[in-house]
Amino acid sequence: MSSLAAAGPAKAKGQGAARSGFLPYLAGKLGAALVSFLVTLVIGFVIFSLMPADPVRTLTRGRPTSEAQLTQIRLQLGLDDPIWRRFLTFVGDTLRGELGYSWQFQQSVSSLVADRLWPTLLLMGSAAALSIALGLWLGIRSGWRHGSLFDRIASGASITLWSVPTFWLGMILLVAFSVGVGPIPSLLPAGGMSDPSLPQEGWAHIVDVAKHLVLPCLTMVLVVFAQYVTVMRSSIIDEMGSPYLLTARAKGLTDDAVRRRHAVPNALLPSVTMIFMHLGILVSGAITVEAVYSWPGLGYLTYEALRIPDLPLLQGTFIVFSASVIIMNLLADVVYRFLDPRVRAQ
Amino acid sequence: MGTGNSRRVRSALAACALSGTLLAGAALGPGTAYATGSAASAASAPSGQGETTLRVKMSGSGIDTLNPFLAFFDGAYDVFAAIYPTLNSLDEQGRPGPYLAESWTQSDDKLTWTFTIRDGLKWSDGTPLTAEDAAWTLDLIMKDPVAGTANGSLVSNFASVTAPDATTLVIKTKEPQANVTYVSVPRSGIPIVPKHVWEPLAGKLKDVKNDTFPLVGYGPWTLTDHKPEQYAKFDANKDFVLGRPGFDHMVQQSFKSVDAAVAALRSGQLDYINGVNPTQFKALQADKSLLTIQEVGNGWTGLEINHNARTRTGKKIGTGHPALGDPVVRHAIALATDRKTLVDKVRDGMAVVGAGYLPPAWPQWSWKPAAGEETPFDLDQANKILDDAGYTKGGDGVRVDPKSGKPLELRLGIHADDTDDAGISNYLKGWLETIGIKLKIQTLSMSALNSDLAKGDWDLLMDGWTTGPDPTFLLGIQTCAALPKDDGTAGNTDSFFCDEKYDELFNKQRTTFDQDERARIVGEMQSILYKADVNQMHFNANTLDVVRTDTVTGMIIGQPDAQGMYPAQSYSFWGYLKAAPATAKVTAAKEESGGGALWIGGLVLLVIVVGGGIALKRRSTADDRE
Repeated sequence: MSSLAAAGPAKAKGQGAARSGFLPYLAGKLGAALVSFLVTLVIGFVIFSLMPADPVRTLTRGRPTSEAQLTQIRLQLGLDDPIWRRFLTFVGDTLRGELGYSWQFQQSVSSLVADRLWPTLLLMGSAAALSIALGLWLGIRSGWRHGSLFDRIASGASITLWSVPTFWLGMILLVAFSVGVGPIPSLLPAGGMSDPSLPQEGWAHIVDVAKHLVLPCLTMVLVVFAQYVTVMRSSIIDEMGSPYLLTARAKGLTDDAVRRRHAVPNALLPSVTMIFMHLGILVSGAITVEAVYSWPGLGYLTYEALRIPDLPLLQGTFIVFSASVIIMNLLADVVYRFLDPRVRAQ
Repeated sequence: MGTGNSRRVRSALAACALSGTLLAGAALGPGTAYATGSAASAASAPSGQGETTLRVKMSGSGIDTLNPFLAFFDGAYDVFAAIYPTLNSLDEQGRPGPYLAESWTQSDDKLTWTFTIRDGLKWSDGTPLTAEDAAWTLDLIMKDPVAGTANGSLVSNFASVTAPDATTLVIKTKEPQANVTYVSVPRSGIPIVPKHVWEPLAGKLKDVKNDTFPLVGYGPWTLTDHKPEQYAKFDANKDFVLGRPGFDHMVQQSFKSVDAAVAALRSGQLDYINGVNPTQFKALQADKSLLTIQEVGNGWTGLEINHNARTRTGKKIGTGHPALGDPVVRHAIALATDRKTLVDKVRDGMAVVGAGYLPPAWPQWSWKPAAGEETPFDLDQANKILDDAGYTKGGDGVRVDPKSGKPLELRLGIHADDTDDAGISNYLKGWLETIGIKLKIQTLSMSALNSDLAKGDWDLLMDGWTTGPDPTFLLGIQTCAALPKDDGTAGNTDSFFCDEKYDELFNKQRTTFDQDERARIVGEMQSILYKADVNQMHFNANTLDVVRTDTVTGMIIGQPDAQGMYPAQSYSFWGYLKAAPATAKVTAAKEESGGGALWIGGLVLLVIVVGGGIALKRRSTADDRE
């Protein structure tokens, strides 16, 4: 949200002035986002190209390959091209909306990303929605009654879970709920996104995917929701001494109404920032959770690209992830302008 | 005060209710538990009425592409072995047997092979499968560089492949070639594809994903569906020439973590896993519903030594320590390596102590040093030969190379994702310190290790290879031709080994058609490697398999030897074919599990209802309380 500081020279001249200043504000933000994206393109290319690696050797490790074959593969992959030509090809492809051709999967990066986008958004989106809802709710309640039993339980539990390594928590939940431990029977599938032996469409498939989603989603939620609890709780505590709350109470509003209508909207701004940052990284998936539960997401795809390294795939996923973060930052800037009059006044 | 306490309790209950909502998701009602449990025990979860499905873990590397001309990953070749035919099959010992080819003969000059192809076979779409399909496939790989991407080297010595009639395939080679019957075998060889399907695609092979299901093929199975990184589904080919599969369907499911696959096996969602680690294996041995077996390994784990990296013209490259060019130092390292301890501690005893370069899975090539020629674990001897050679210890206990004046401080590259490497490196570090060699362990990714390897920028590397039943390729990477060119390109050497006698034997074994004589030559080559101490074999890890006995029978092929070791399972080709549903019924335990799930689901529901009720009541009376 550092871009908020450069929100533009719009002057606070009442509502009309704020409206008239929006387009220049948006244009400025769009321009900054475009520059960020172009810089990201260059950084992405340079970083991955500098990686010490011999992708052809790693790719062909499992098969008997002759020298002629290796030479032919290097030629096919364009590895013999000078780096400047590879850069121009990369930029040209990107500007045309093409993300290149994966070396290991032998198909377009766009199709690989598209295949995994929905599973990624399903897992990360549902986990984000639950984390945000749970975290904000607990944060508001804990902050409003800080020091209470509820606060101590909620804050303690969330911080403890935040400290737990995701991979470890995933394995524990896997063993507990998939294999079953003691009185807990086997309740849920151990991995994957669906049961291959069931039909892959219709209501039964939706229920099946939901079952497979529970454990990875739960793992993500348990680890992530704490950040919303802590931010929201401290924001609420900061607002609690504000005179406007006293005024609200003096007007005879109930405690719930004071909290919901006055304290929460003002305390929500830092959480909005965090929510958009979270939304920005949704598409990048979660490598550890995807690995534990064999979820076919973009995070693990990136890890697979890194192993070779499959440069077109790495660069392609890097572009998608970067674009997502930049777009969400842009949206946050726009939303902030509507949520916070101080931004409009700048 | 009382009100305050009561509010806190209610709030806590409401919080529990929310947690309960999450748990409710986990339980998803008793139906989930029951479905899981029952599918588990049925092993053979029905896909249709009364039909059975074999569920196995997909090979660890997964499927890179279903295009058989471009694929490199094991998972893809596992699928190809199931859905595309090959000229030959492999028996338990890895020897070629009949498959598409019923028989084969060689000409007197050993340059012409004539295969008799079975008559009457049909592709899955009903088109006749003839010698022309095999000839077209092999010919395309020979002539089209894209078609030869994955398997071009296997036909590089072929002069021509023709099909004079529907049942005759003639392969002419440029030079006599002993391993022609290994060129097209399941998994490690070339799959034959239907000409009528692939011929129109030949000009654009690079863009063919081959994902129109069901795929037209011929094999024990037909691929009916594939979702990348999720699963591959197969129907049995009930007319398969080498026998009818015991199951109606097969599912290969992708698991990115073996721990998760083990969890799936234990809860009954999988029937078979090939390749668990020793810790998992031992834990699963206690489970009465599982059969745990060790099969002889088809690979080795060992230490590569960079003994003066150089190019084909002898130009020195890289930053390897000069002392490693001295056979005395290399032999001292071999003497200071206790392979038995590595087997016991790193592999929990589930490996064979290493010696020969070729793994024990293919006994026809197996070689061991003669009695008295083995390199023992002897730290005193290692110290003595280093002392005698003038490698004196400095004040810090590290020996100094008398020629270069450099201390014997060596880099040891290990794979970041290999726990065996980590275990071995710690032992090696300790042993070598006692003989005055200091190790600096560098944990690197596979790609970084490969990059350093080619440039010679290393001293010691942990390495490992697996091989199919024909040893030509693995032996070939130790020849002088595998060294890089002066410009740093080409070459696929591992340790920059180059020996005239070895090269001579390598060429000889390629043209030796008497398999016993060929085995003798291959043994001699392994003896040269053993004595050079450049590739020090630590162990051949056993492949560890686990099968559910309540759901599957007949999966494991062959009989165990005196040590309880089963033969290599020929990459599961025969195992998947011969596996059949066990007759066991749903166990009481599983039914009990379903009952337990019902209880838990009920409890979770109760918590939600009570918690939600309290929260709602509290909200409705909030104003009154204020």
